[in-house]
Amino acid sequence: MMLSIYSIKTILFQGKASLLNCKTIMGEITVLDNHEALITALDAGIIKVIDENKKEQFFPIKSGFLEVKPDSEVRCIVEQ
Amino acid sequence: MESPQNIKKRLRSVNNINKITKAMELVAATKMRKSQEIALASRPYAFAALDFLATVSTLNQELPELFNKREVKKVLFVLVSSDKGLAGAFNSSVFKKFEKHEKEYPASAKGFNIEKEEKFFVAVGEKANNYLVKKGLKVVKKFVQAGDYTTPEQVKPIADFVVEGYLEEKWDRVIIISTHFRSTLKQEPHVRRVLPIDFDHVKETVREIIPERGKFADSIKECQITFVPDKSKIRDYLIEPSGKEVLEKLAKHLFFMQVYHLILEANASEHSARRMAMKTASDNASDLGSALNLQYNKSRQSKITTEISEISAGAEALS
Repeated sequence: MMLSIYSIKTILFQGKASLLNCKTIMGEITVLDNHEALITALDAGIIKVIDENKKEQFFPIKSGFLEVKPDSEVRCIVEQ
Repeated sequence: MESPQNIKKRLRSVNNINKITKAMELVAATKMRKSQEIALASRPYAFAALDFLATVSTLNQELPELFNKREVKKVLFVLVSSDKGLAGAFNSSVFKKFEKHEKEYPASAKGFNIEKEEKFFVAVGEKANNYLVKKGLKVVKKFVQAGDYTTPEQVKPIADFVVEGYLEEKWDRVIIISTHFRSTLKQEPHVRRVLPIDFDHVKETVREIIPERGKFADSIKECQITFVPDKSKIRDYLIEPSGKEVLEKLAKHLFFMQVYHLILEANASEHSARRMAMKTASDNASDLGSALNLQYNKSRQSKITTEISEISAGAEALS
């Protein structure tokens, strides 16, 4: 899936990723390829991303939003 | 004619001023560039946030409080200025715009009870505070040290204060008067209504992040976001926990982002205004310096001539 994570200061992540794990205000979710279309608000916590090279990346956030589009495109805007 | 010593003293001080203003000019130019870069770095975020708002608002017709227009009884004005002076007409143009708005607004809004509107003021920057206090207006709160380049951490208290006051109905409309950075040579004070949130207003702010001319002008010109989204495109989105809650949070984020940008833009304008002011100052100083130099040489020359004529007169008298 194409994943982009934007913060107000910079672009934290942009590119292909195989997994995204984050904490929403309803609980923790993991987004994989072909996820259902979803919009939700994120809670304070750590976003975990596994990119194409199977490398793990972590981004701590204070709050934010997650949008999963129907065509495997995922977008986050976060506040750090 | 003035003595060469005196002229020399003045010449030295003029040259020192020239050096100082030159240095300030260079510093301001660098800071200006940097604040422009910071403003541009948050563009993807701004566009994504707007896009979000567009999607969510079509899925959910019920708008949160921040979008709702209510009867205006109390108005909050936020004046954004700098902490330090020596920035040319930067601060005074904001104040002038404010005065003009004060004068013209009642005329444009017929049928409303303008006299009944209570006014509150928030000052961002030391200069705005001084101005408002001098005019004897009610300053609810002042925020200083928005910095050379503002950071989200510095803007947060300002945005929170304004939003909380709005939700508690301390004011029903919020107007920000700040400087819009059109290009390095041109900055304009703008009056913007930020609360209640209006889609078009937010969109405009985001669009204005790119200056019209200059280094960053042609960076990105695409990104068309419409608020009349294609109904067919919107498939069944799952919204967690609910559309209303997400929108509420999103509205706060958007408002924060807008304030952040306005202040960042004011920062960039401040630096470029200061740069221009310092450039004029150092140009003047070098003009003055060369005039003084000429005067110094002339006075030195005339002194020498007098001495020579005295010597030759003396020699003649002796012979």
